[in-house]
Amino acid sequence: MSPIDQDELEVAYGVHRSDLMRLLLARTGNREEAEDLLQELWLRVKQNPAGPVLNGRAYLFRMAQNLVIDRLREQQRRMQRERRWSDTTTDFAAAGVEPVDQRRSAEEAILDREEIAALTSAIANLPEGARRAFELHKIQGLSHVEVASILGISRSGVEKHMAVAMKYLRRALMD
Amino acid sequence: MTARSESDETMLDQALAWQAALERDDADWDGYMAWLEADPRHREAFDSVALVAAAVADHSGEIGNLLAAQTSAEQPRKRLSRAFAYVGGGLAAAIALMVAVPVLQPPPIQTYRADDGSSRSIALTNGIHVVLSPASAIDVHGGDASRIELVHGEAFFDVRHDPARSLTVSAGAYSISDIGTRFSVNRAGDDFRVGVSEGRISVGSDHVERDVEVSAGHQLIASGDGLTLSPIAAADVGSWRGGRLSYSNAPLGLVIADISRYSGKLVLIDPSLEKTHFSGTLVIGDGSKLLPDLATVMGLEVRAEGRGVRVGAAPSR
Repeated sequence: MSPIDQDELEVAYGVHRSDLMRLLLARTGNREEAEDLLQELWLRVKQNPAGPVLNGRAYLFRMAQNLVIDRLREQQRRMQRERRWSDTTTDFAAAGVEPVDQRRSAEEAILDREEIAALTSAIANLPEGARRAFELHKIQGLSHVEVASILGISRSGVEKHMAVAMKYLRRALMD
Repeated sequence: MTARSESDETMLDQALAWQAALERDDADWDGYMAWLEADPRHREAFDSVALVAAAVADHSGEIGNLLAAQTSAEQPRKRLSRAFAYVGGGLAAAIALMVAVPVLQPPPIQTYRADDGSSRSIALTNGIHVVLSPASAIDVHGGDASRIELVHGEAFFDVRHDPARSLTVSAGAYSISDIGTRFSVNRAGDDFRVGVSEGRISVGSDHVERDVEVSAGHQLIASGDGLTLSPIAAADVGSWRGGRLSYSNAPLGLVIADISRYSGKLVLIDPSLEKTHFSGTLVIGDGSKLLPDLATVMGLEVRAEGRGVRVGAAPSR
């Protein structure tokens, strides 16, 4: 397979449009949201020229998947902010004195610090093997194969460590 | 374990396996779609895993720095101590200091204080446990600790229920009795707040005709406006022990006094803000970010004054 260029990526979008819709529908469980995301995906394909892409279909699937996760994360953050700071309970918000953007970014910063503290503490408490694999892969950005060779374990060993770590962190973030 | 929770666990394992599989260049997207379509709960399991990965990805730089600092700072120690170090100085110190204080020849008044920067846990006689917030102090009267006075700051009380005992906790003009419970009391000048996380208490004062009952999940706040009883999440009571300051409609004066204690900095409040209230949560950390965070969230202005700072309303534009 030879790399494809931007025009071909747009063609690939047309060819795999129904598959992409199927993925977005399975990912969101909501037709309207899926259609909305499909539209956004098209805009990104048009606006952000990709480098050479080997497999147009896999590339588009990954883009769609990332769009879903970005949106999920936004929703999660918005809910966290609403749970923690209710606009109506501070006198200043009612008076409309503070700039909304500045306030929002301070709230984001507070949530960030808290999330960082929770994650760092959870990672530090992981079993040794899982912690090393997690740090190399998720923090330092090495691939599973690279992590496997550094730790001298199999690739499936890395995946097992990662599963342990992710479960632990998931629980830590839920608490 | 029930069948339902077993299958939840299985779904979680599958979601994790898919998450790893999709990182490959030759990922089986069709198999993944089929798995998602097989059960709507698969989507939820995957979402929960994807959100964790997204949170880590968002902060990987900072987390990496923190982990690196941690590893180089304390190499040979046991992992356990490293875990505590993360919880924050206050709680770690509280755990380290959780020792019984023997009261053999009880002096009439025994004063306990927590220094700046760390909280302190005290086991008194009769099953009374107190955690003192940084820069706070209590006076314990009598050998049986039947009267405790919060001199300043905040203290969390965990008191075993004992109908035969009479215990009073006073804070300024307010006194708390009928105690068998867990609650947190805060005093800053004339401002007073007590939150109850378990059981109930009764609060009396010269300012009110009858005692006010405060039960779990409620707080009583006294400020210039008088007494206000309102609901509060039980988990937010004494949340400072876990590194957070949580407020629900608290007078700003009280919030500023807390920040003053935690940051070790003199913080004054502009008289125009005395009637202002704050709801929200602040992360304590090393205390230095508390004031900037509050100022930004509430749109306040902070300016240097004398040896400290003064917060005022930001000029409207």
